[in-house]
Amino acid sequence: MNGVGLHKRLEANTGLLIFGILFVSAIGGLVQVLPSIFQDSLAAPSAGVKPHSPAELVGRDIYIREGCSTCHSQQVRPLLAEVKRYGPFSRAGESAYDRPFLWGSKRTGPDLHRVGGRYSDEWQRLHLLDPRTVVPNSIMPAYPWLAERPADAGPDIQLRMRALRSLGHPYSDADIEAAPAAIEGLTEMDALVAYLQGLGTAMPAGGGR
Amino acid sequence: MAKEVYHDRVVTALVLCSIVWSVVGMLAGLHVAAELVWPQLDFGREWLSYGRLRTLHTNAVIFGFGVSALMGTAFYSVQRTCHVPLFAPGLAWFCCVGWQLGILAGGLSLLAGWNAGKEYAELEWPFDIAIAVVWVCFAIVFFGTIARRRMPAIYVSNWFYGGLIIVIAMLHIVNSLAVPVTLSKSYSLFAGAQDAIVQWWYGHNAVGFLLTGGFLGMLYYFLPKHADRPIWSYRLSIVAFWAFTYAYIWAGPHHLHYNAIPEWVQSLGMVMSLVLLAPSWATMINGVMTVAGAWEKLKTDPALKFIVLSLAFYGLATFEGPMMSIKSVNVVSHFTDWTIGHVHSGALGWNAMITFGTFYFLVPRLMGAPLHSVRLANIHFWLALAGTMLYVLAMWGAGVSQGLLWLSLDEIGELSFSFKDIMASMAPYYALRLAAGLIFFAGALLLAYNLFMTVKGRRTVAAAPPAAAEA
Amino acid sequence: MQTTMPTADLPGDFWAGWIAVLTVGSLIGLGWLVYSIYFAANGSGKAEDGHEGPVWDGNLREGAQPPPMWWFWLLFASLAISVLYLMLYPGLGSHAGALQWSQGGRLSDSMAEFEAKFGGLRQLVAEGSLETLRADPELIRSARSIFHRHCAACHGDEGQGQAQRFPNLTDAEWQWGGSAAAIEQSIRQGRTAVMVGWLPVLGDAGVKQVTDYVRQLQEGSAAGHPGQVRYGQFCAACHAPDGAGNPILGAPSLIDQVTLYGDSIDAIEYSIAIGRTGLMPAFGERLDNTQIRLLVAYLTRAGEVKRES
Repeated sequence: MNGVGLHKRLEANTGLLIFGILFVSAIGGLVQVLPSIFQDSLAAPSAGVKPHSPAELVGRDIYIREGCSTCHSQQVRPLLAEVKRYGPFSRAGESAYDRPFLWGSKRTGPDLHRVGGRYSDEWQRLHLLDPRTVVPNSIMPAYPWLAERPADAGPDIQLRMRALRSLGHPYSDADIEAAPAAIEGLTEMDALVAYLQGLGTAMPAGGGR
Repeated sequence: MAKEVYHDRVVTALVLCSIVWSVVGMLAGLHVAAELVWPQLDFGREWLSYGRLRTLHTNAVIFGFGVSALMGTAFYSVQRTCHVPLFAPGLAWFCCVGWQLGILAGGLSLLAGWNAGKEYAELEWPFDIAIAVVWVCFAIVFFGTIARRRMPAIYVSNWFYGGLIIVIAMLHIVNSLAVPVTLSKSYSLFAGAQDAIVQWWYGHNAVGFLLTGGFLGMLYYFLPKHADRPIWSYRLSIVAFWAFTYAYIWAGPHHLHYNAIPEWVQSLGMVMSLVLLAPSWATMINGVMTVAGAWEKLKTDPALKFIVLSLAFYGLATFEGPMMSIKSVNVVSHFTDWTIGHVHSGALGWNAMITFGTFYFLVPRLMGAPLHSVRLANIHFWLALAGTMLYVLAMWGAGVSQGLLWLSLDEIGELSFSFKDIMASMAPYYALRLAAGLIFFAGALLLAYNLFMTVKGRRTVAAAPPAAAEA
Repeated sequence: MQTTMPTADLPGDFWAGWIAVLTVGSLIGLGWLVYSIYFAANGSGKAEDGHEGPVWDGNLREGAQPPPMWWFWLLFASLAISVLYLMLYPGLGSHAGALQWSQGGRLSDSMAEFEAKFGGLRQLVAEGSLETLRADPELIRSARSIFHRHCAACHGDEGQGQAQRFPNLTDAEWQWGGSAAAIEQSIRQGRTAVMVGWLPVLGDAGVKQVTDYVRQLQEGSAAGHPGQVRYGQFCAACHAPDGAGNPILGAPSLIDQVTLYGDSIDAIEYSIAIGRTGLMPAFGERLDNTQIRLLVAYLTRAGEVKRES
């Protein structure tokens, strides 16, 4: 038997060809993806990393909705220049409660993983309302509608937290009970700012030099 | 019994839909490119905002333009290489209509802010299910036709189209696993680093088996057909197919170099990306050597020119990819516009150009009439070439300078430049990219006009399989 | 602080074996497949006209050319590089690689290199006198780039202040004090202004009256103004009876011509009625001593430039 002979058997039989393609294309995933799924240390939260608060969760979903990750990464690589620019490099355990992960693939704007606490809330609001009031040559879009819409305008916060709890996020009944009150009166802008201010703060801020 | 004919009307419908999507998708792309020059161009409207419109752009060109073209050409070529009409033609129409409606509704949902947050898999779970259903029907029609074939074996283009169907189904189903919250919101089954590994296994291979493998299927049928030459080496086709199918699927982790995933995953992603160079080039060699006997046709035939040029860009992009996957290169290239340039040298230079060439060849055959204007097609060729070159050069310039400036330190070890100063220095590159996009888009409009004029007032001609005696 | 730990650890025994066996096994499989196809004893059943197999569709056929040898060597070269790489670096399950390389280790190495190359110089800068630092144009350029990275988003590229929120750092007015020590403290620990809203106390009319008084103060013609009483009662404790302000409390002068939140009646009225809570985040953790020293030198210089002109 040689490769040509083997192939000729597959190309003469629909079922065998389908099986052959499935088998050959599955190997990579079986090696790279499957063991990763079973590697608990990849899923364990780092010390100090907690599930998102209701406001942060709403903010995070707004971040996803507006496609922020098309331009902003949340992943500080362990490279000297990067650690100096942004802060401590990102650990797997810091994303343990991120569904989906938002590491991004492009930095049209800067990385945001260590943005929490870097600016005041007021700066974040002004910047989101119109980035050019504080960064004159910014090319980021303005998000005026966030300030006009209540934070609970989206899918019900309790439903969201229950869905996440079913996936293993440790929200207690009391957490879920208290969630609607926690976001009452907030705007989407407030929620997004809460999310941004919490980003990357489980690690000490040192290193961003 | 009526005379048996190929089901080509569904092919015509898919080709026309694909053309419409190419215009829609590129228009969205142009608009987001313009927003990066003039950010006020969203006029304060949510649905015109960059983050939403850019998502529409990628989905419209990949799943609207790309998949419609692949489905149409797969239906066309599988019948002719199996010498039987489509299996379950009603289901083929369902695929056509279902896919268009799904992508249309999905596109609108993206503008409305429904976003699952995974790159190239942004559509929310109701659309994921719809996509899976249509895809399974696509598989039934395609493999059903192959199973009924009157030929002893299965032709090489069908291996690649088959790989597209099977692998995309596998990737799509696993990567889309999520817990729904409401109709418009779900949370991924995987979190953090694990989600990242799953997502780029999907993301890279959506490029691999859809934008590369699927279009290789198109190449293996339409190139030899149009060049009127046999595919150069059957044995090279075998090597190309299996090595490609094996190696591509491993390359995903190169999107996560130096990210918070295990180093062993990164290393495997990198070495397999290097191994992938040879399998990718195998088909380029096969293609170029196939045309080698028909160079004279290149002078006069815009369709063949497009296909041959697409091969050149294919070779370029599949060389550049493995180079960018080398970790020390990736340190510079990752997160920059270099990636955008790389993607577009593939998407414009390879995917769009081979599709344009195929359409210029296919539509006149479907209509049984000559192309409305060869001259316009020739003009389109030069616009497409100029647009692609300018685009890629602009993004190389932008990407390499971003990557190096981000890393640059001054005399006392301080970072030399602030992020926003580097960002501001990108303005000329982004303006150039917009101009490149306009040029490329102008060409696509010429194609749309030319082909609609070719189709206008005509019906798809009936073609019959050769006598059933062959088998 | 940076740690040297890798970002993620190696898989356990079973999965390590799984990864290594499947990877090596499938790579060998690929090598075998390609080798056996290349050197098949004409296993493809070449037809007499030089074509393989059937006529697929009219003119569509497959050629019987042997695949090129250079491609074969290209593939095997890439396989050889892969094997070598996987011996040297982590990849095959729990095999950490002969070089014992990790990305955490790589970062530590570059940190050590950085320290060796710049450490002494940076220490000198951190301890240098402000005058010396200011006199060195290269250091001022570095300071400017630090300012652009960490400060300009609020205070503007030239430190000119922005958006009627973020103070101008180039004028003589320093809300929290313009001495080197005060500036350093502002940078290290941040500042939070606590001007509360006086509407509940003053009422509408009172707010308007005090607003007018403050306007007059600014113009130097407040003598005998009816708002003076309320000002004395509620404002003078922080802003001083004459409106000169108190940098220790971050209470700005009301009698210079610098108004952070704007000098329109509306802006002043808002400040009095609703209050202002300007916040400067602390940068003591984000910046090192060298960077802070340079910023102080840069900022005191900026003030001088302005004062001189």
